[in-house]
Formats: sequence, C-alpha cells, structure tokens
Amino acid sequence: MSIGGSDLDQAILQLRACRPIPESQVRELCYKARELLIEEGNVVGVDAPVTICGDIHGQFHDLMELFRVGGDVPDTNYLFMGDFVDRGFYSLESFLLLLCLKVRYPDRITLIRGNHESRQITTVYGFYDECLRKYGSANVWRYCCEVFDYLALGALVSGAATTLEPSDAPFADLNSQASMPGLDQEIEIETLNASGEVMFRFARNSEQSSSAAEPSQNPSSSPLPTPARTGAPGTGASSSSYGSMGSSTGAVLCVHGGLSPLIDTIDKIRLLDRKQEVPHEGAMCDLLWSDPDEIDGWGLSPRGAGFLFGADIVKCFNYKNDLSLIARAHQLVMEGFKEMFDSTIVTVWSAPNYCYRCGNVAAILELGEDGGNGGFVSRANGDVNRAQVLGEKVQGREGPGRRYRVFDAAPQDSRGMPAKKPVADYFL
Amino acid sequence: MATGLNGFPVDTHLPGHEGTSITRHGFRITTRKLPILKAGPIEEMSKKLGITPPEMIFGDNLVTVEYKESGWKIEFNAFDALDRVDKTGEAMLKVSYSKEWQQNRSKQFEDIKEVVKPFDWSYSTDYKGTTPVPNPSFEPTTTPIPLHLLKRPDPILFFDDVMLYEDELADNGIAMLSVKARVMPERMLLLCRFFMRLDDVLFRIRDTRVYVEFATGEVIREYTAREEKVEAVREALARTRDDVPAQMRDPNKLAELLSIVDKSLERLVVK
Repeated sequence: MSIGGSDLDQAILQLRACRPIPESQVRELCYKARELLIEEGNVVGVDAPVTICGDIHGQFHDLMELFRVGGDVPDTNYLFMGDFVDRGFYSLESFLLLLCLKVRYPDRITLIRGNHESRQITTVYGFYDECLRKYGSANVWRYCCEVFDYLALGALVSGAATTLEPSDAPFADLNSQASMPGLDQEIEIETLNASGEVMFRFARNSEQSSSAAEPSQNPSSSPLPTPARTGAPGTGASSSSYGSMGSSTGAVLCVHGGLSPLIDTIDKIRLLDRKQEVPHEGAMCDLLWSDPDEIDGWGLSPRGAGFLFGADIVKCFNYKNDLSLIARAHQLVMEGFKEMFDSTIVTVWSAPNYCYRCGNVAAILELGEDGGNGGFVSRANGDVNRAQVLGEKVQGREGPGRRYRVFDAAPQDSRGMPAKKPVADYFL
Repeated sequence: MATGLNGFPVDTHLPGHEGTSITRHGFRITTRKLPILKAGPIEEMSKKLGITPPEMIFGDNLVTVEYKESGWKIEFNAFDALDRVDKTGEAMLKVSYSKEWQQNRSKQFEDIKEVVKPFDWSYSTDYKGTTPVPNPSFEPTTTPIPLHLLKRPDPILFFDDVMLYEDELADNGIAMLSVKARVMPERMLLLCRFFMRLDDVLFRIRDTRVYVEFATGEVIREYTAREEKVEAVREALARTRDDVPAQMRDPNKLAELLSIVDKSLERLVVK
C-alpha cells in the first residue's frame, strides 16, 4: 500500500486523534520521509517567518496545545529542534504526526535531530518500550530509527525581521501596560500567553541602552561589547545597539544542543557525514549534546563526557558566521525560554509540565519576516562561504525580533487519563 | 496579579498543593507539593549551595512530622538534602563512555582540560532529615522498626508522595530523592529514598525510614545505603525470567539485589 495523498491526510487525522497508524503505513511513511530528508543538507535553509520549537518528548497533548497556540500546519511554518521522543507516554504518535506533516508539507515544517533521536537513548528512555507495547514488535521502532539517521543536524533561518510588528492584542495585565514601550518604538521582544495576550514587551534601543551599549570600536580585540543585562529578568535582553544598522539581522542557527570545538564555521557542519547513529564523540555528538554555561571558553562537563561553552565562544561563532542568534533546546528551562550571553543564544523548551510533574511552562519562538527593509540580502541555501565576513569590519549583528508564546500543559481532561493522585500503598 | 520572570503570571495553574496535613495524637504530619523552582530561586539556591541544583528541583516541597506539644520536628526538604552532596568533586562518578570520550578528546584538544565546577553531579546524599530542635536528639539503638505492625492492613488515613529533586544525569541515568508518608490510626511510616542509576555503571539506593508510634511518642530512624555495579545486577537478573529492563527501573525490586554499604539505627521519645 502507499501513503500518498488522501491516505496521508487520513493518517494525519488518525494521529491527531492520538491513535497509532498500522505498521505497514508506518513503514511506508518512514520510507517517504527518508527519501525527503536525504535531499536536505546537514544544515537546512529556512526562510522566516518561522516558529521555532524545543523538546517535545512524547507529550502528544501538549504538542496539540502548541499547535493551538502557535497556529496549525500549514498556516504556520515550524522548525522543531529535536527530542520528539522518550519520557512522555505518546512518543510514537507525536513523532509520526510530525513526520506525516513533514511528508505532507515539506516546505512548511523542518525537523532536526536531537540526542534522543538515537537507537541507544530510545532503548533506555521509553520510545523502544512504547513501540513494543503498541505494536508487539520492534519493527516500528526500527523504521523510526532509520529516519532519525537522516534528520538534519541544524537549520539556518534567514530573512528574519529585526523588529516585531507589535501584536494587536490586549495586555494580560492592564497595570503593566504603562511600563511597556509604546507602539511607536521598535519592538525587539514580545512575550504572549496562551490566550495571545501581551505579557511583556521590550523595545530595542530603549532608554536602557544608552547607558549599556558602548558601540564596539574594535571588534578584533573585543568581539562584542557586553552590555549589562537590562531586559526583563530571564530574557537577557540587552537592547545593545551597534550603530544604526537597524534593518538587517544576521541568520539564526538552530541546533539541538550547542556548539563544538571542532566546528568554527557553519560550513564545517555541512561537511559532516550525518547518516549514522549519533556517535559518542566528535562534532556531530557535540552539536546534539553540548550546553552553554557561565564559563570562559570551553570546559569539560564534570560527568566525564560532553562540552560546555561560554559567552565568548558563542559571540565569536556568531560574529564569524554572521549570525545574530543561536537557538537551541536540550535543557529544561522553567520559563519556557532562556536567553543568555547578551541574547546571543536562547534555549527554547516546548514540553510543559515536563514528565507530567515538573509544573513548568513551555515556549515557542516566532521570528517574523523581514518586511523588505532593504538592508537584508537573502542567501542561497547551503553554499555561501560565511567565513568571508571575517575580513570585513562588521559589528555584531542585532538580534532578530523575537516573539515568545508561553503556554501551559494541555488540560488534564483532554488527555483521556485521570489526574494523577498518589495511590496510597503499604510501602515499607 | 503579580508577574514573574519573562512577564508571565506567577500564578499559572500548578500541579500539587500548598499544603495538606493530618494530626494524630498530637503529631502533625504535613506535606507540600509545588512545581519546580523558576530561574530566580534556582540562581539563589545555586549561590547558597555552591553547586548547580538538579534539573528538576522541587525547592518548595516539604514533608514534616511535628510533635506540637514540645515543638520537636523532623523535616525533609531539597535544600538540606543537596547541602549534603559532595561539593569538592572527590566522590565524582564518570559516565560509562567517559574513558573512550576523553582519550579521543585529549588528543584533539589539549587546551580543553578544565573540568567545570567539579562536584558530585549524581546528587548522592546521605540526608536523614532536618531536626531543627536539638532536644530530644536521636540516640543509637538496636530496636528495629516493628515491621509486623506496618504489615497489618490498618486503614491509611493520610498518604502522600513528594518529590524533592530529580536529575536525568544528562541522559546518562537518573537520580531522584522523594519522600513517601503513610499515617495509620496508631502509627506512621515515612520513607525518604534517594535512587540513582548511572547507566552501565552503578546503582545506589539510600533509604531513610522514620517510624512513629503515636501512643508512646517513640520515633525510630533507620538509614540504609545500598550500592551495586550495574553489570552485577544485570547478571543477577539474567538468571531470573523477569523483564530485565523493567526491573532495572524499579527501586523496590532492585533494593534486594544491591549490597548494603552503610547502615544506622536511632531512636528518640518525644513525650
């Protein structure tokens, strides 16, 4: 049987209802998906507007909530930064739905690989057991793992607008309205709740920036100025202004974990051989596993494996590659997103009430489309030698306008399972 | 409405509860279950502790047993438990593939040698509860917890299961500290369990049990630390016909297979 056209739409309908599709259809779907993914480079080129999402971890009902809050496919373009599976109860339905949407709307949805998209990790953290339980064999798990090997390692978003078109929405808290920037100012960051109400708005070059930003005169000695964190706590919004570039923003690199000491240019990511199980070491491993930390340079994780990288590493990388921002996932952050290092890197986390017990909120990051501001030159997908910027006297790129939509876990009754109350037991 | 970090309301819907309690014979047992801490309180806690807290830190959660008449109390909270984690890095474990990883790395990056903020990232703690009131204090005893009284199907008047912290060890296993309490008409039992599995390396279970006989005011505290290499447990399980992966996730099953490495038994009377 085949899974084209109406079959595919039927499968999407079924998966949206959180019902698994037959094994034969999974096989067909995975085959189609591989054919599609093999054509993608290690770093997929994506045009703004796009909505960037972090870890899902099999929390199917929360993924539905994400689509409700962020807009449905194909009306909204999505970029998922991996960790679709494990931990939650519905890894299978979550991953297969995303895969169906990918096959159905290849240009509307981008999936990149997380460290959980691996044979070894899924056997320990739930996805393997779930497939076995739902199909009685490991075949479906095997088909999915073959797809994992073809997922891209990163994505490069270009054409993002520097400023946001302020949401025409009411304020969540009317008292806070007065303290927020007016609509005549350029909006850099906006945070909306699940009802689309404005919780927070931050203007670029607002009054704070005058004291904070010392425009960098000599980028080689000090790659970027490091203005005080003057934004809302947690956003790390710096409102740093590097001259009057105004309209253009560098590209945004999306990757599950972070950087690697083996990778100093995006072109080096493009040269990796990705079609394999996630290795225990090497650049591919680092991209999926490493974490930013408040250190100088590179450090080793105390666990004995894995890298940590500091602000200087991110700023140099962004500068060298003409990036304005790195978006990554991989770490639980209670507020759903966390900007670090003067907003040069952000962690986006999209699994609310993680593992059904953390009580955290989740977030997605919307990047708007550059409305013909003139300063931006769009790039071809894949073959630009970004190292060229090194020779030019370019100052740090202004970050793109960022709209975070923050949301809670889907209501308990939509999950079809009772609220979890501890069951009294005669433990000893 | 107050707004928190990133401007979202502090009072988002939260699982758990602000506090529930029961009083029996002058003993008041209280539990509090709230979501994990947000960025601000975590930063504060990191500073106070001197180590990075676990990924899921239920810093507001609490279980207390209090004898109201004298003010004696024993409390279980995440901060005090974490304060007893080794902060020097002396007791540090390594993930299973660490050797392989480091061998390859040291050739490539001789300059990246510094281990960032070494500490016992497995968050192993020998926490036995916090007793803020000095008197009466626990004294060693040989009187064990009367299991036969706990095995009776007396009605359970109050039960709760409270998580204090949990960490996925960066997908290398799990470490969790949780407290269970059950109150029957005449007595209660509390179990504070630290469970750690470092994949392919080590299991640890550290149990603190607090037993209270209401009528006499007798409190017995028993601490048992168990440990075993994962390989040894796997071999032992292979001899059974049980589902090995499922067993390896079940602390109750595992406890029987781990060797006891530390043990203590103490007692006090509050009345």
